[in-house]
Amino acid sequence: MSVAPETSVIAVKTQCEHHAECMKAIQAILDGEATDDQKNHFRQNIDKCMPCIELYRLEKCVKESLQNKIEKVPCPKNLIAAIRSKLDLMA
Amino acid sequence: MFFVYLPINRTFTVAIPANMSDEIEETSLPEIAAYDETEKHDIFNREFMPHINSMYNFAFRLTMDEDDANDLVQDTYLKAFRFIASFERGTNAKAWLFRILKNSFINDYRKRSKEPAKVDYQEVETTYNSDDGFDTQATSDLRTESVQDLIGDEVANALNSLPVDFRTVIILCDIEGFTYEEMAKILDIPIGTVRSRLHRARNLLKDKLRNYALSMGYKTDD
Repeated sequence: MSVAPETSVIAVKTQCEHHAECMKAIQAILDGEATDDQKNHFRQNIDKCMPCIELYRLEKCVKESLQNKIEKVPCPKNLIAAIRSKLDLMA
Repeated sequence: MFFVYLPINRTFTVAIPANMSDEIEETSLPEIAAYDETEKHDIFNREFMPHINSMYNFAFRLTMDEDDANDLVQDTYLKAFRFIASFERGTNAKAWLFRILKNSFINDYRKRSKEPAKVDYQEVETTYNSDDGFDTQATSDLRTESVQDLIGDEVANALNSLPVDFRTVIILCDIEGFTYEEMAKILDIPIGTVRSRLHRARNLLKDKLRNYALSMGYKTDD
């Protein structure tokens, strides 16, 4: 006789009643600025709330796009030379 | 012109031009170090110059103009050298330089900007008047997949279209990786204001990204 493994069913919410607070917490977590309470609450609840899961993914993606997709141009060499030249005159 | 009086055991007087006081203010002057010329150049080369690319990109995103960005970075570095005595060796040079640049921009460049600030006052007013900036309704239909599909220029254009104060906090936090505390010092605002301005800026940015996504035909939940 086979025994079915125990499973726990997590009810996932489709609406978040604390959206503003959750957004604050999610942004703080992604910025590395969350309090311990915010981190604990996030760990315990993130997989139970679909709007928060989606918000986390979106906020993370926007932040990563800003970090990785925007072109960073090097400072022009002639500007560096001009600064050094003026510095020599000041010395 | 005013004078900064130093601790008794290191008595000497530094004259700081009045307009410099905004850029290097008391909180940046815990102690005044008496560096000799070799030390000054050493600090400049080892602690200031490594940040010049970040400084240039910040200047360009503030001014939106190559010539102004060049002038702003040059002014900032020359000011940093002139007032190097108020920099404590080994402390956060990047934040110190960003603060000088930001204040130079406000004092010298913002007033004579070639391009008038593109501020949609209705939009800003709506954002400021919203409940703590957390009006998520407008952006809730922006999908992660749409953002993933955007190219760098589209993300940059969305960022550049934000009013400068909102653009600044996003650059400092998301691109340059400053902490809220560092941002508060750079911008001279309380940490709570950093948080709320950042939230508002991100909401506005998501609105702009959503508009880009719609115009490009990427999927939103509309």
